[in-house]
Amino acid sequence: MVDQERVILMTKLASFEKHEGRKNMSIVNYFRSDYIGFQILKAIVAATLSFAMLLAVYLFYNFENLMADIYKMDLLETGKSLIITYLCAVGGYVVIAYFVYTYRYFKAKRKLKDYYKGLRALENMTDK
Amino acid sequence: MSTLLEIKQHVNNFFNKYEVYIRPVLKLILALTALLTINSKLGYMQKIDNISIVLVAALMCSFMPLNFIVFISALFIVLHMYALALEAAIVVLVLFIVLFLLYFRFSPKDTIVVVLTPIACMMGIPYVLPVVMGLVGGPYSAVSIGCGIVVTYALKSVNTAASSLGSMETEDMATRFRLVIDSVIDNKGMMAFIIAFAITVVIVYLIRRLPIDYSWPIAIAAGALADAIILLICSMSMDADISVAGIVLGTVLAVIAGFITQFLRFNVDYNRAEKLQFEDDEYYYYVKAVPKVTYPASRKRVKKINTATAHRPQRPRHIEYDEDDEE
Repeated sequence: MVDQERVILMTKLASFEKHEGRKNMSIVNYFRSDYIGFQILKAIVAATLSFAMLLAVYLFYNFENLMADIYKMDLLETGKSLIITYLCAVGGYVVIAYFVYTYRYFKAKRKLKDYYKGLRALENMTDK
Repeated sequence: MSTLLEIKQHVNNFFNKYEVYIRPVLKLILALTALLTINSKLGYMQKIDNISIVLVAALMCSFMPLNFIVFISALFIVLHMYALALEAAIVVLVLFIVLFLLYFRFSPKDTIVVVLTPIACMMGIPYVLPVVMGLVGGPYSAVSIGCGIVVTYALKSVNTAASSLGSMETEDMATRFRLVIDSVIDNKGMMAFIIAFAITVVIVYLIRRLPIDYSWPIAIAAGALADAIILLICSMSMDADISVAGIVLGTVLAVIAGFITQFLRFNVDYNRAEKLQFEDDEYYYYVKAVPKVTYPASRKRVKKINTATAHRPQRPRHIEYDEDDEE
């Protein structure tokens, strides 16, 4: 005879495995520091690319003024302020990324724990 | 009300039964709406302003993940911009890439809002979005709507500057580039909408999560009111060109859309709410259980009209079964 409770549990577990489970498993396969470190590395690359593109747009926008002032400019000071702006922008983005990915790692771990708990419950039902 | 509930139940059943076919059809409709709107509002490149190309692209979108619609829409926009002016295409492309790199890596589920926002704006119902997203999404939806508003205003500004761009010499690239950037940045209406919509999303989200009775209707009313007030303040203080009649009408529409969303997502009966209290070894539990409003599925009655079976002698009511018979 069909055990309704078991079917419900199996459906829930299968649905989790199909949708969120796969993603969560790929997250939890990493050590916490490795996962967050890798994501932060990607965030740094993304922020650097975005910064470079926005800088290029800014330079092109102010192209005429820059060309006129280039000999009067203190290049060392300009470079320094550019690097500080870059570090602040990337630093701010990395902090946000750190919080987001730490939260995601722990959420994935918690959900997988519930999933395994469900699997154990299913195993006990089958043993009975 | 019971008729509405019955319709909702039937729609739910129908969706569950034919989900495999309905999803692609819905994606097709969304993609078609997005691409046709882009073509009608921009339409600078004649080659892609063609219904057969739109249909092929929309059909592709219907079998791909939802975010593919965003990609195709972005591609159409960049191509139209390229046909208008290379500078406009560069600015819009940089905008899309930066949005993708910085924000949509975090929130891929919300990406579709960036397409929905310009469509809602072009349909004249942008006020609906923050209320609905506050109800069905999270506080991060504020950023998605903000990105959508930036894209909408960028397109609108480039469209406005199109005549000036057309009259300029093609060699004067730096001036054309500056004109495009200026028209995008110098937009007070955009800032007003971003601020108002972001605050509205957060207000609606926070209130609907409160453990109070009627949290959803309160959230809808508070959000819509806050949206209208902030927009009015911004339009006055920033001297932005926002129509007051549009705000009032939009707020009414937002409230209606909010209540429709509530009916579909969170239809509960607070009059039958129960407060329970129990304990286990470690905790005391104070639980408030609010029942959902549901419509009992109607049972089909089978009326037998076969006369041959109707006259069959009835079994006596009291029959003693042997134990073997029961098995």
